[in-house]
Amino acid sequence: MKLNTALKVGRNIIIAVAAVMVAGWLAFVPSAKEAPYAFVTAWGEKGSAPEQFNDPTGIAVAGDEVFVSDSRNNRIQVFDLDGHFKRQFGSPGKGPGQLGRPMNLTIHEGELYVAEYFNDRIQVFSLDGQSIRLIGKSGSGPGEFNAPGGVAVASNGDLLVADFYNQRIQNLKADGNFVRQWGTTGKIGIWAGEFNYPTDVAIGPDGTLYTADGYNDRIQAFGPDGTLQRKWGGPFAINIFGPFNGWFATVTGVTVDQKGNVFAADFYNNRIQKFATDGTFLTRFGTKGGGPGQFDHAIAVAVADDGTVFTADFGNNRIEKWQQGK
Amino acid sequence: MTFRTFTQRTAIAFSHILVATGVLAAPVTYQLRVDGLSCPFCAYGIEKKLGALAGVGRVETHIKDGVVIVIMKEGFTLDEATAKKTVKEAGFSLRKLEPAQSAP
Repeated sequence: MKLNTALKVGRNIIIAVAAVMVAGWLAFVPSAKEAPYAFVTAWGEKGSAPEQFNDPTGIAVAGDEVFVSDSRNNRIQVFDLDGHFKRQFGSPGKGPGQLGRPMNLTIHEGELYVAEYFNDRIQVFSLDGQSIRLIGKSGSGPGEFNAPGGVAVASNGDLLVADFYNQRIQNLKADGNFVRQWGTTGKIGIWAGEFNYPTDVAIGPDGTLYTADGYNDRIQAFGPDGTLQRKWGGPFAINIFGPFNGWFATVTGVTVDQKGNVFAADFYNNRIQKFATDGTFLTRFGTKGGGPGQFDHAIAVAVADDGTVFTADFGNNRIEKWQQGK
Repeated sequence: MTFRTFTQRTAIAFSHILVATGVLAAPVTYQLRVDGLSCPFCAYGIEKKLGALAGVGRVETHIKDGVVIVIMKEGFTLDEATAKKTVKEAGFSLRKLEPAQSAP
């Protein structure tokens, strides 16, 4: 009799746990709404010669050119859309035109914006590699940076900067004057509007600011008025990481395509994830490895005008090109 | 048996004295073991912060091994408390600090 009771209790517990797991799966693991992207080609290997990389950490596309932060080589390399080398610029140092660990990139109105992790500044280049201006300096005050990881430019020319060690996103005028910030300087937090080592930023066509909240494993989106619109990444988007659809394991790059879709580099999950403007999970692509269509940590992503996706494959020291499946 | 002139013997003796007094000694090198170093944002942070310490000549991070090599300038050493504090500022915990093979 006691044995039967124990078996019944055990069975009920198993059913309850299974029900919770199914409910959790349905609630927090969305299915894909789009076909995955198809791998097209890859280029690069470890080294310091042209077409070689030593830690590619950022990528941007303008017209028919792909710009890559070749971080440990302290240079930007430029390729055509098929991966043919065109030119390079930058050298180690702190002077104008020199670079200190360039990270995520953005291109706005014919200018390349480079977040320099070691030099604590944003450097703006013409697309042919001429240094145009330097913005910011080391520190934690307004307009100062402690290892900027990424930068975006709003339609009015304002800069948005992921200020990694200062645990904030800064909004600056084009000349570097401080406007406002999200997050508390130097304070890590997991709740809405707080940051845990932000790595990158992007601006949507409607002016929405998307922030890669790196170690909170989430995206936070803010409206043009500065208010939080939404956040996503794992249950409740509160620093719960995982390998499932819509979850992250450290977000290191974010970009937006012309339609407003959001692409995120999901570093430790070795993949790129694509979301609709409202954060709805659409699809993902990439697996761990060194073969075609695989990543050894996907760190950055950019989208060309025609929707072709380019990704920086950090550990494999290469760039991968992907196109949407039919 | 090798024959040495007085000049050679003097040079050898002088170099032994220099080595003994540390003048020709190789820079001190340390190996730091840090968990969770595979993201470049963190690895670069540790490099940047250790590189800013007085007496540090060069910092190498080996991301896949979770190891940081710190090569000091001649005459400088790195104490564990400073290393621990700096690694913590970079967002990590120092697991181990130990002398490494001297830099060439």
